[in-house]
Amino acid sequence: MATRENNSDRIALLQGTLDLLILKSLVFGPVHGQGVARAIQRQSDDVFLVDHGSLYVALQRLEEKKWIRAKWGVSENNRKARFYQLTAKGREQLAEKTSEWRRLTHAVERILDVPHGPETEEA
Amino acid sequence: MIGRKRSAKDFAEEIKAHIELEADELRQEGLSDEDAQRKAHITVGNARLAEERYYRRTHWVWLENLVRDLRLGVRSLLQSPGFALTAIVTLALGVGANTAVFSVMNSVLLAALPVEHADQLVYLRTTNSPKGTGTVDSRDTFSYPVYDALRKQGGAMSAVIAFAPLSTSKVAVRYGKDPEQAEGDMVSGTFFSGLGVRLMRGHGFTAQDEADHAQVTVISYGYWKRQFASNPEVLGTTLYVNGVAFTIVGVSAEGFEGLEPGKSTDFWIPLPNNPALNAWGNPPEDGKIYLRKPTWWCLRLIGRLSPGMTKSQAVARMQPLFQRAAYVGLGEPMKGERPPVLSLEDAKGFGSFSESYGRPLHMLMGMVALVLLIALTNVAMLLMARNATRQREFSMKLALGASRGDLLKQLLAESVLLVTAGGLLAWGFALAATRALATWAQIESSLAPDKTVLLFTLGILALAGILFGVAPLRVALASGPALAVKTNAATSRTDAGKSRMGRTIVALQMALCVVLLVGAGLLIRTLRNLENTPLGMNVSGLAVFGVNPHITSLEQGREFYRQLIDALRVLPGVESATLMEERIGSGWSDNSYFKVDGKLARDADGHATLVRNNVVGPDFFTTLQVPILEGRDFTDSDSANAPHVGIINEEFAKRFFPGINPIGHILGTENGEYQMRIVGVVKDHKYRSIDEEPMPMAWYDYAQIPVVGQMSVELRAHGAPLAILPSVRMAVRQLDPNLPLIEPMTQRAQFDTTISNQMLFARLAGFFGLLAVVLVATGLYGTLSYRVNMRTAEIGVRMALGAQRGQVIWMILRDSLLLAAIGIAAGVPLAMMVGNALESSLYGVKALDVMSYTLAVLGVVLVALFASTLPATRAASVEPLQALRTE
Repeated sequence: MATRENNSDRIALLQGTLDLLILKSLVFGPVHGQGVARAIQRQSDDVFLVDHGSLYVALQRLEEKKWIRAKWGVSENNRKARFYQLTAKGREQLAEKTSEWRRLTHAVERILDVPHGPETEEA
Repeated sequence: MIGRKRSAKDFAEEIKAHIELEADELRQEGLSDEDAQRKAHITVGNARLAEERYYRRTHWVWLENLVRDLRLGVRSLLQSPGFALTAIVTLALGVGANTAVFSVMNSVLLAALPVEHADQLVYLRTTNSPKGTGTVDSRDTFSYPVYDALRKQGGAMSAVIAFAPLSTSKVAVRYGKDPEQAEGDMVSGTFFSGLGVRLMRGHGFTAQDEADHAQVTVISYGYWKRQFASNPEVLGTTLYVNGVAFTIVGVSAEGFEGLEPGKSTDFWIPLPNNPALNAWGNPPEDGKIYLRKPTWWCLRLIGRLSPGMTKSQAVARMQPLFQRAAYVGLGEPMKGERPPVLSLEDAKGFGSFSESYGRPLHMLMGMVALVLLIALTNVAMLLMARNATRQREFSMKLALGASRGDLLKQLLAESVLLVTAGGLLAWGFALAATRALATWAQIESSLAPDKTVLLFTLGILALAGILFGVAPLRVALASGPALAVKTNAATSRTDAGKSRMGRTIVALQMALCVVLLVGAGLLIRTLRNLENTPLGMNVSGLAVFGVNPHITSLEQGREFYRQLIDALRVLPGVESATLMEERIGSGWSDNSYFKVDGKLARDADGHATLVRNNVVGPDFFTTLQVPILEGRDFTDSDSANAPHVGIINEEFAKRFFPGINPIGHILGTENGEYQMRIVGVVKDHKYRSIDEEPMPMAWYDYAQIPVVGQMSVELRAHGAPLAILPSVRMAVRQLDPNLPLIEPMTQRAQFDTTISNQMLFARLAGFFGLLAVVLVATGLYGTLSYRVNMRTAEIGVRMALGAQRGQVIWMILRDSLLLAAIGIAAGVPLAMMVGNALESSLYGVKALDVMSYTLAVLGVVLVALFASTLPATRAASVEPLQALRTE
């Protein structure tokens, strides 16, 4: 029972996480989609393998929410690419999501650090 | 937002760019060109999937699906055009009939006047007019002093508006050379401002115009368009009304047709002070027109309530004023007399017409609702039958992975198509029908559907759409995917739930059909009775028309009519000619109290009785061919100087001269000013309308009474009555070139106008009855053909086992006859209830008219037999071997 609930939570969590990571990777200026993917992969020490299909759909979603905006441009090695940039609203969201995430992980950590599992506690 | 949507192509391009960038990077990291390309592709994963996900996110997928479903629906309907056509036409007839009748009901009973803040407008009503007064309509009309008192009240109403027609029919007008007839109203100065009617051109009237009786006129948009060809230069030109010159100062806004119930007014003038322009076209009595005759209640009143004022508050304030003003010119109320009571009624529909139209309209609405029920169930049944034969298709779809929702969507799409097509056709029907109805009912006002009607129709259509989508779903789903793998045609079809539902519906339709046929039968027989009611005269060969000469004096007026009669009598083709002040068969009658030998004519119970009267010319009864029972007709020698003579009818003699010969007795007006000797008694005949009961009546001779005005001429022609009109028109022009013939028609047509309502309702009822029959027949035919189709294999087996063709036919017929019997058993009691409700609209027919019931029952049986014959013969012609081979 408990595991199943956790499962569904994790999916939702991951989706939110991807948004957060995208926003974070745009903090230092416009980056194109492939750059975002690389940044996330590299900065997480290759822990996250981003599904690029999902990434672009996520980018599109964020664009529609007006957290980021996009325009076509040219990459450093002269390739046509679509560059994404944070909007003011996006920056706000980033701050909010970050603190939300911190609180969440903090709470989860504390639970995980308790020596006994919840079942035993109940008993 | 939607306009700047990113295209799917753009998205795909971005993915492509990603792969190139990734490949570049991988090459830099030292991979070979080929490896870099391959790996870059792998990192993206399934690009197509991402693109599709993007596509679904950004597109209105449901809209595309809808379009696809609709396209599929069109294709599927086109595959069975017979079905589609039947369903659409059935729906259009059912919905169209409802829309048309509701549209009429809306215009007549519900619609507000097309003016600003119509909700504040109220008609003024009175319970009666005081004793000693004359009234046009005891509930609707008021005297000038009442109007004068009420408009001066402050507070309750921001405007009190008076209006009255210039004639009960039409008045003579001239614009340019040719004399014409038009409908005109005299109105108070507050008419346009108080009602809030906008003017398209020029301006309306002012209080000053009313006070000055200014000779200005506003013409209606329709009249301007019709008679003035929308000429913008019309303002400032002159319109002659009964020979009086009026300057056109305005054209009213489109859509406003005046306040005369069921009519469209052509022009308005401020309340005039001119003997040539009395209210209702009456000749001035003793030289007095409506303004100076406080005892003549002839003005209709409409008021605009002050903001925040309720009807009851306004009545409370106005009642004392009203009751005082009601007795101006009369003195104190008579002892025991109940003074009139003022009330207010929302100005909706046709005002005073609402009463006479209300009942029949509700009745018709009920009839068309039944027709609609039959039509809707018909289409639903057709759909169910059709979809039952499509079970294989549905089953296959389910097997291929379509969800129930997908099937529902597809069925709904088909239903939407049917309903849309049916709805559009229905709206077209309704437009044509309302136009035809207006003509039949002699209503000039527009009965065309408006926004309210549109909402009503859309409501019905929405209901139909859902019904048609959902009803067949059960059948469609009944099979499930398993059916697809069955290969046996016979067994696959017999699985479909027995059509008990269909049989119930057919029986119900038969019951409704009985009700409609009985209703139609009763009303049509009523109409026949009305049409065949003896009028007490010979109307064939009679033509009638009005003239409104310019009259300067009593003598000149009498002389004009004498010359007119002389001129008409000698026209070839004219057998005889006479005059009458009130046109017979017009629906109007003039009634007053009479003195018989110096005493007020009283009923058996002592109440003073109103006596009908009319003013007529020489040879009146001879021309009409009304039998003279005693004495003689009026003659040319009954001139102004001869002794005053009068003629009464049988009913008068019976009531007031029981057992005595009335000839020679003296008849007088209530005030005793005019007296005449009775010289003749005529047989009772119809006067005002066809369905009236005999009333005591008296006639004066026009040459002997002290008033003369507009009259109607009655001509008896040798041939077709209307054929002599051209020569009559010439003869009239020779007397006065300004005179048009007002409303010329045959006397029969004139009498028919008094039963135009009944004619209309009977025709409509007949039409709806017929419609019901046709619909029930198609419904039954459809169901039976479908069932026979289903049972082909079974019939084949039966015949292979020795069943005769006759037995097979009987098997099918027996089934329909059973349904008809059930329908009749349920329908007859229902019809009896309806018949009782109709009772007051019937004439000469009992609600339990055996003939109507017999015909209705026969009709339903015939429908059952007729609709079953074709499927039954088809069943009987099944070749046993062929049928079995389909197994």
